[in-house]
Amino acid sequence: MPDCDAVRENMPLLLTESLDPARREVAHQHIETCPLCVAEWSSYQETWQLLDTLPAVEVPVRVKQRFLAEVAPESIKPNVVPFRRRGAARWLAQAAAVVIIAGGAFYGGHRSAPSTQLTPTPAQVTAIQQAMPAAPFYSIAESRVLPAASISPQIEGRPDIQNVQFTDASPSNQQIGVSFDITSHVTVTGRPTDKSMVRLLRYVLENEDKESPSRSRAIDWVRSTYSHVGNPDPEITEALANVLRNDEHQGVRIKAADTLQSMQSTMTDGTRDALVEALKNDPNPAVRIKAVEALAKLARSGGNLNPDMVDTLRKKASQGDENVYVRVKAAEALSSIQPQ
Amino acid sequence: MKLTVRLPIAVVAFLSAAQLFGASFATSSRVVREFPVDPAGSVWIDNPFGSIDVIGSDSNVISVTADRIITAPDAAMMKEASDAVAMSFEGDTKVRLIRTLLPPGRNARWSAAVNYVIRIPRSLNVKIGSKSAEHIRVSHVNGSVTVNGFSGTLIMEGVVGASAVSMVNGRIIYDYTQRPVARAQVQAVNADIDMYLPANSNFDWVANTINGDILTTFNVRAGRFNDLVFHGVIGSGGPTINTEALMGRVLLLSKGSAPTDAQSVRSSMPERPRVPNDVLLQPAKKLQLPFVNGEFTFAGSVADVTVGEVRGNARIETGAGEIELGAVFGQCNVTSLGGPLNLGDIMGSLFAHTGAGDIIVRAARMGGQVTTDGGIVRVIYAGGPMTLRSGGGDIIVRQFSAMMDAQTTSGDVTLTGDPAQKSIPVTARTQQGNIVLNVTPRFAADIDATILTSDPDVNEMHIDFNGITVRREQVGNKTRIRATGKINGGGERVELYAEEGDIHISAQNIAPMRLANPK
Repeated sequence: MPDCDAVRENMPLLLTESLDPARREVAHQHIETCPLCVAEWSSYQETWQLLDTLPAVEVPVRVKQRFLAEVAPESIKPNVVPFRRRGAARWLAQAAAVVIIAGGAFYGGHRSAPSTQLTPTPAQVTAIQQAMPAAPFYSIAESRVLPAASISPQIEGRPDIQNVQFTDASPSNQQIGVSFDITSHVTVTGRPTDKSMVRLLRYVLENEDKESPSRSRAIDWVRSTYSHVGNPDPEITEALANVLRNDEHQGVRIKAADTLQSMQSTMTDGTRDALVEALKNDPNPAVRIKAVEALAKLARSGGNLNPDMVDTLRKKASQGDENVYVRVKAAEALSSIQPQ
Repeated sequence: MKLTVRLPIAVVAFLSAAQLFGASFATSSRVVREFPVDPAGSVWIDNPFGSIDVIGSDSNVISVTADRIITAPDAAMMKEASDAVAMSFEGDTKVRLIRTLLPPGRNARWSAAVNYVIRIPRSLNVKIGSKSAEHIRVSHVNGSVTVNGFSGTLIMEGVVGASAVSMVNGRIIYDYTQRPVARAQVQAVNADIDMYLPANSNFDWVANTINGDILTTFNVRAGRFNDLVFHGVIGSGGPTINTEALMGRVLLLSKGSAPTDAQSVRSSMPERPRVPNDVLLQPAKKLQLPFVNGEFTFAGSVADVTVGEVRGNARIETGAGEIELGAVFGQCNVTSLGGPLNLGDIMGSLFAHTGAGDIIVRAARMGGQVTTDGGIVRVIYAGGPMTLRSGGGDIIVRQFSAMMDAQTTSGDVTLTGDPAQKSIPVTARTQQGNIVLNVTPRFAADIDATILTSDPDVNEMHIDFNGITVRREQVGNKTRIRATGKINGGGERVELYAEEGDIHISAQNIAPMRLANPK
């Protein structure tokens, strides 16, 4: 049974449904049995609902100017024309709103406190790290809601702040809000065989937006990384198989099939079936070539064959309107198959 | 005394060693059965491993003799195999089904084969399925015959009815004892087909092979090729005999003639204007040459061609295969209907096309045209104007010094300009993917870059230069992001167009590429 502190620490994550299922279940069980935590949890929920109803208020000009001067000086703007994603999910806006309140509280406090001149320094929202829950694992799926007091007055390292909005819900209370999306750059290091690394790469390969420009780069990277690893994790080949099956981008499918060909040692039934499917149905001849080459290699190595694969190779070899090279490769694959 | 101890020990050791080194036991058992059958009925035989002999006779019953042979390393395995392998006789007088039953996922340490000799009424229809057989023989059957096998030799002898036979790795020998009166479909993937027919036969012949040849001792009338498929008439024509050996050869012999007298139908074809697919009408070749001092010309059907160096022009045409050229001192013209092209240092102009497959060019010093109907195009160095096309796949140019026109229907286009050139005209288009143009910070150009996207929040335009105007407009249900302007005062036109992807014009310091001079 977790103690109250740990549960309360996880409440923001619980609120945004970002906690992993096991910890979520434990937290809910604790809240149901602990009157203090019930009260705390109710308070969180009320605040959350309230944030949902807050109207957007135009920012006072002076605040806007001062803020922009602080976070993005003109002289060092990058010479890039960016078009970033806008309109993130509602919870993200809500999370940002919590940051606004924190920022507002700090701003208000700062104005009333004795004058302490801050020296502009480069980038780091160090407070984010301080406010992270002391969990044994860092979950990249979690969205964080930071209490106001956890924001450090030191803004260093030029954080990437986008979609800045200003709110002044109640002009009479001298509280203002600054909302923004902030991208925290995370670097995960580890061996290519580490399960966390494998899962992360699988996620990158499978779950990015279809139009995402980085998927093909991810495949290139996976290929170059795992070609040096004796037996890449089957999850990697399964992820590539899913890309081969589902990606609308022919160029990406070609790369996926090509990469699978270089990962014969961990080919699963699923990956083999994806190659068979690609050989049968992919409209791009290059994908079919990569698929048939991969299957031929599998046949030569005595890998796991099934009747559907043999049947597909047989049909392809005889298919008059198929590319001749595909037919020849299919025949070559069949020639190395020993019936079992 | 000592000897009496040593001898049994030696015997035990020997037996144990024999066991360890994989000595195996074989046992055979025979089953004989007889079943009544309707003369117009069918018999289906499904025997994955083992030979099958089906012999037509005047009898009115099916008589089956099945020899089951099991090989196993020890008694336990032998028992397991004996229990697992069964013969099944099912059906009624209309259809008799004879099957060998093997357990799915059986132990690989034992093997089992069943050899069948089945005598049937001549008029019966026969259907055979096999995976591995020393042979399958069907003889003196007047009904229709269907055979679907994987490996082993198939012999059809005196089969009168219609037949459809297909083998993957097994040779097919078809011996007609009388003139053909029914249609025959004969197909082998990795093996030859030999057909023997009476000299006075009348039939229509269709033959098809990619890798082999089509040979006959018959006088073929009205012979013509339709793509890869040969059509001809023997005698006055009649039922169609269709012979297809993908990687093997087709031999059609008139009885009484010798195989050595057979002529290729390709060589007997009248001269006609060349068409691209004609390379497939030639026997397959395989070529490996370290050095060609002068011009090099090659045409072949299925051919893997590797030449280290050509000190002249190179002209290669293949139907399918892998082509690898190290260096070509003159012009290089390579056409393949399918297969990857790996081209090295091409001093003259380059024309390379493949129906499908990747193309790698180490250096195209005079530029040229490189196209694939599907595959990745990778050019390490382009010294002259180049046109690159892919029907689907990335296009990557590590360094180009002259006009570059790269287009793919789906894939990323990544181009890196020569740092020694201040301005180079560039056209890059992808209908599904990203475009990255890497140039030096002092690169000058008139930029016209367009992204057409259904998700403007995901696809972005990054241009590391000043002086660019970016506009967005809605076009139907898509957004067009267009960036135009002059960079570094303007220069050659750089036109980039990407659908559902990013465009990135990146300013960076690029190291110039050095090419070794030919010796």
